Amino acid sequence: MATTATLTIASSDIAGDPVSVSKTSTLSKAGSLNDLDQSTGLSRVHLRSATNKVLLAANAEGNNLAAKVYIINKSTDASLYLTVTINAQTIGKLYGGDFMFIPWSQTDTAASIEVAATNWTASTGDIPVEYALFHEDTDFLTNA
Amino acid sequence: MATTNATIALASDITDSSLSVSNTTALNTAGTSTGVNTLTSVTKVLSSTDHVDLITTGSVSTTHAYVYINNPSTDESQYFHIHIGNAVGSGTYDDGTLPTEEIGTLYAGDWMWFPWDVDDDITIKPSTSDDMTVEYMVFS
Repeated sequence: MATTATLTIASSDIAGDPVSVSKTSTLSKAGSLNDLDQSTGLSRVHLRSATNKVLLAANAEGNNLAAKVYIINKSTDASLYLTVTINAQTIGKLYGGDFMFIPWSQTDTAASIEVAATNWTASTGDIPVEYALFHEDTDFLTNA
Repeated sequence: MATTNATIALASDITDSSLSVSNTTALNTAGTSTGVNTLTSVTKVLSSTDHVDLITTGSVSTTHAYVYINNPSTDESQYFHIHIGNAVGSGTYDDGTLPTEEIGTLYAGDWMWFPWDVDDDITIKPSTSDDMTVEYMVFS
């Protein structure tokens, strides 16, 4: 029972020589070689709110345990973005097609991951968002 | 303008029906189809458990960047707490005394990839005072 995550970055012209990075990680429980064994699976929501919505609710039991979060903005409009925050701290903006993959510590119950379609209006259309959580802790509950 | 692509592939058999995800995105400046044109690539060795700046806002001249951070260690006791905010000296960290928010813990062999709005520094706290290597790249 394993989960692997591979990131590949490639550019032929951002530097004088081609840049190519490929890294695969097997997702493990905190400080061990045991595989993460729980997942929300891949979920999809349509965001139509310029104010923050909880995508993944933090659970303090998750503190000091391993969790990995994948989020992608599936909009095909490059200008439509999601603002991703943790405990009101902005991490960054996912423009159409962009994804992120981060560890998530859930230091306390305020550390929920929230998203907002900051420049959304009724005329821009919904922003499809897909996400998945891989984690440990049998008591883990989320709103996913 | 440069062309840089990032691809993620996730494969999991945790659930009865296995999960397989693959997506590629072009790294563009904010809200455009113009490719980012600046790359910073750093390998750093940290030798204390102090909570310190890793990537400062002053090192990037845009308001939208993509960040890759890698923990190349193979020792599971060697991990990094990755925060966003502004580190203050070597005090304690996720007890509310420092104005940072912990994003997550990067265990041995783990990597992370995220967009960064360059409003606050990316900070780091190693788990041990052994020499611990961290690698990062910033595309902006």
